[in-house]
Amino acid sequence: MRPPARAYCSRSAGGAAGALATLCVLLLAERSPAANLVVNVHTLEGRALPGAVVTVRSLDGPGRQATPVHAVMDQVNRSFAPDLLVIPVGSTVEFPNSDSVSHQIYSFSPAKRFQLPLYRGKPYPPVHFEQPGVVTLGCNIHDAMLAYLLVTDAPWYGRTNDEGSWSAEVPRGRYRVALWHPRLRENSEDLERELTVGDSDRADLTLRLSKPLQPAPLSDRPHSWDY
Amino acid sequence: MRLRRRVHRPALLLVLLAASGAGRATDWELSLDTRLVSSDAYPSFMQGGFGTVRFGSGDSGLRLGRARFALSQPLGELWSAHLDASVFDDQGGSAVGLTEAYLLFRPYPFAGYRFRLKAGGFYPPVSLENRAAGWESPYTLSYSAINSWLATEVRTIGLEGTVDWLGSRSGHAFDLGVTGGVFGWNDRAGVVLANNGFVLTDRQTPLFGRVGQPGVPPLNGAEPFMEIDHRAGAYVGLEARYLDRAVLRVLRYDNRADPTDLDSVSHVLPWDTRFTSAGLRLEADHGWTAIVQWLEGVTTIAPQSLTLNWPFQSAFALLSKRFGRSALSARYDRFAVQNNVAEGYGQQDGHAWTAAYIFDADAHWRFTLEAVRVVSSSVSREEAGGPPLATETQWQLAIRYALGSTIR
Repeated sequence: MRPPARAYCSRSAGGAAGALATLCVLLLAERSPAANLVVNVHTLEGRALPGAVVTVRSLDGPGRQATPVHAVMDQVNRSFAPDLLVIPVGSTVEFPNSDSVSHQIYSFSPAKRFQLPLYRGKPYPPVHFEQPGVVTLGCNIHDAMLAYLLVTDAPWYGRTNDEGSWSAEVPRGRYRVALWHPRLRENSEDLERELTVGDSDRADLTLRLSKPLQPAPLSDRPHSWDY
Repeated sequence: MRLRRRVHRPALLLVLLAASGAGRATDWELSLDTRLVSSDAYPSFMQGGFGTVRFGSGDSGLRLGRARFALSQPLGELWSAHLDASVFDDQGGSAVGLTEAYLLFRPYPFAGYRFRLKAGGFYPPVSLENRAAGWESPYTLSYSAINSWLATEVRTIGLEGTVDWLGSRSGHAFDLGVTGGVFGWNDRAGVVLANNGFVLTDRQTPLFGRVGQPGVPPLNGAEPFMEIDHRAGAYVGLEARYLDRAVLRVLRYDNRADPTDLDSVSHVLPWDTRFTSAGLRLEADHGWTAIVQWLEGVTTIAPQSLTLNWPFQSAFALLSKRFGRSALSARYDRFAVQNNVAEGYGQQDGHAWTAAYIFDADAHWRFTLEAVRVVSSSVSREEAGGPPLATETQWQLAIRYALGSTIR
């Protein structure tokens, strides 16, 4: 998450020319020093919302790009594990099957349409995700299975922790912060905020939902029952 | 008989296909359900009696609830074959047989819609209660009056197509579905209901099986799954879902039997049976489930110049709570059958309370304790020498052991 300029300065400061290094730090600090952007997400009732996806894009023009990753979404006990992944555009996701039953996963979301039969004990090539957007996954055999992939082109992204908080170090500048959660009732656009990360070392943004979340999927129902 | 052999052939083909299907994983299940029964009920419909529960007082003691073997075999990526074979403790009825046997075509959803096709013998989509493997209820041993009737003499032997709009997979909270079925071999659906009224049982008549015993009136080993008039029956249903929390299901069924068309070989009449059903199942956090179902219809026969009909209605409400490995459920049933016959044969009016406690020791062992208490008036029972109004109580302790490829 650290910007390259800061890393470079940090290495220079370790050298012999201490005065020059200090000057370097000061000069770079004038241009794009890092600040800690902290986003807190609260439900309508004011409770912390864990697991919400936060994406941050710069409004000062193109800059940092997130590096594609290789992620894994397993099938365990007739459920996707995990049931939500956030990945940058260009990433790949592997879908192994740890269950003793077969699965047939699919998505007809505009961001990625695909179908993949997962017979037990067979490896399958990973799936590439080239378009940003929400990809909703289901299983053609087990209707109760549901998972999401959020494919993002945002340079900074992540999910809120148990305290409903997410943070990243970003260069000073202007940003658009967006929020997504599979159980949101409001439009994601209504929860977008713009903010300027200025002179302070830390910028805080608190987002509060304007509508209650949809109920969470039932977790304790036997998987063998009809959905 | 020729018709039955003709239908048995595809079922045999299914078995062979399932047995020969190498490569793709075959799923199987085997279970044995034994019962310790204490009952003060009148003899059941399987024994020629007018009891309203599965086991009469003469059946008290150790009984076989059900021995079951089920097989699911993928046939390529989009087709699969499903067989469910059972043995019930029937004292002479058709004890062994397939309760369901069908091919399922399940293409991947496309653009938010999904199509499914079933071909073979299976239950029409009415019950919201019988959602566990083998069309069993995960809440009680005895099914509701509505679903007991379906188990006894209603089955689709034909084709069923379903189109679902999968809103929950495209950013919405709802799914919607429409189902249509075309079937034969259910021309005698209604014969048990008109004779015996509603009962609360978990005995499922096998496909092309008998109800009661040959030579023992009133049913004389009735065969609900016969094709007599060569007219296909049909049903159409709607289903709406809210997330995984609520299911609303409505169905209109008509076996389109010609009640005047006496079969020249078996000398039995088709029973023209039609009904409408609706049900709602709600599930909430902490293991709570509530189900309400309603069914209303009429069954008709027209021997010679007479037209005899039996309108019927039933409804139930069920509340269940799971806590850990246990589940506690209670259900209240109402049911009634009227008719236009002068002596009132077949008229029935009653209600029932069912309470059950289920304990799953592990994935293999299940223990269930259930009590059913039925209060009913019945003209048929009275004509057979019984009381017009009766209260019957049946206790069952069930021990079930299951194993299979998916049971861990």
